[in-house]
Amino acid sequence: MTAVVVDNVTKVFNQGRSDEVTALSDVELTVGDGEFVSLIGPSGCGKSTLLRLVADLIQPTTGTVTVAGKSADKARRDQDYGIAFQQAGLFEWRTVLRNVELPLELRGLKKAERRAKAEEMLALVGLADFAGHYPAQLSGGMQQRVAIARALAVQPPLLLMDEPFGALDEMTRERLQTELLGICAKTGTSTVFVTHSISEAVFLSTKVVVMSARPGRITASIDVDLPARDEAARQSEKYFEHVTAVRQALRGVPAKSAT
Amino acid sequence: MKFLRSVLPPLVVGVAAIAAWQLTVTLGRIAPFILPAPSAIWAELVEQKQNVWEAGLASGENALIGLVAGAILGVLAAMAASRFRPLAEVSIPFAAFVSALPIIALAPILNNMFEATSSIPRRLVAAIIVFFPVFLNTLRGLREVDPIHQELMHTYAASGWTFARKVRLPGALPYVFTGLRQASSLAVIAAVVAEYFGGLQDGLGSRITSAASFTAYPRAWAFVVGACLLGLAFYLTTLLLERLAMPWRTRLIS
Repeated sequence: MTAVVVDNVTKVFNQGRSDEVTALSDVELTVGDGEFVSLIGPSGCGKSTLLRLVADLIQPTTGTVTVAGKSADKARRDQDYGIAFQQAGLFEWRTVLRNVELPLELRGLKKAERRAKAEEMLALVGLADFAGHYPAQLSGGMQQRVAIARALAVQPPLLLMDEPFGALDEMTRERLQTELLGICAKTGTSTVFVTHSISEAVFLSTKVVVMSARPGRITASIDVDLPARDEAARQSEKYFEHVTAVRQALRGVPAKSAT
Repeated sequence: MKFLRSVLPPLVVGVAAIAAWQLTVTLGRIAPFILPAPSAIWAELVEQKQNVWEAGLASGENALIGLVAGAILGVLAAMAASRFRPLAEVSIPFAAFVSALPIIALAPILNNMFEATSSIPRRLVAAIIVFFPVFLNTLRGLREVDPIHQELMHTYAASGWTFARKVRLPGALPYVFTGLRQASSLAVIAAVVAEYFGGLQDGLGSRITSAASFTAYPRAWAFVVGACLLGLAFYLTTLLLERLAMPWRTRLIS
């Protein structure tokens, strides 16, 4: 079963008004099970819109979105995905642990059960010692890790991330990228990851989807296969080849020859 | 040390002001019916402490009942108004207008609506005065929801009620307490001043008027001091409750 199928989707905002915008036009996207797909493109290319369509935060004007074999709406109701945004968006009145517990709470899990699961997730992102802290006591990077733990708490088959590391410094960013890969490998989660960093997209993804603006559409889809994804991989020739390929695709040079 | 530095300056100024007051009254030979000396007020306060205490309890009870009732109504009304947008649009200008009126002026009318020994009119005035700051502040808090929180709750498929309980209400707590802080002092003022207009004569307000009408000015001032202390007690209790209700904020300070 495929994690996400976006079939011939067009999204028009403010339809029929003078400020009508076509955010996405004829988009086709498939994310296989366990795949890590990055959406990259200039701002205004609709990459976040595409992610939000998958999350059922907005509905397509035409076309269909299928998540885990169901309609996007049904998948959302079943909590078939976890989501993280650029801002951690933690609830400041809840401790770190209770933030991670929230999606489980809304699923109606028993207290002991959700506590155990939340603690497990916090351990996964390396914040077990901070369970009793309030979000305001944590650094930006730590807050983002809590947000990821929260997104993973229901152990969803799909993880949606909208520039989750965008507001972080380079060092923290690279550490969290490695952590995220480890988590995805451990849990077998499929991921759709929005970014505007080429290096981040290549390092993380099995597939990089390149988009262009006005109207937003997919211009290239580049498969990335790196033998390993560790610090050494960031220096490897293969890595830079893919970076170049993505960069050329973003500039509109035919990408196929580069890979 | 830090505590000392924050407490010492106001304390010094306060003591200096009382000393200056004492000197002005005694050296300037100001008549006690214009301004009694602090020493005379203090002596009166010590002598009357049982009366001040009992009158304070009576006024305090009225203020407390008015505060609690007005605050509960204010929060509930704000919840209703935040849920139904048209209601908010009608009620906000209305509430802002009514809260600008001297509600205390209602006291004599309310006194006539109930029997002479009833405490209800004073409690009503306090409740009405408390209602508006709590309502307006809470409503503002309930309306200001982080858009990310809203989207997150949507992805969790949370119902409207769950959303209100888990996100809107806790998010509005700082605003509720801003309203309560204003309201706590207002409740005491309302309860005390409402007694000036008749009704049951057991509180600080009625003691102040009766002492003044007997030209016992130091005694009147002693009850005024009692009213000050009562207002302070209400305010500080609200501050304490605020800290207890929002531990994520106190932890930030410490």
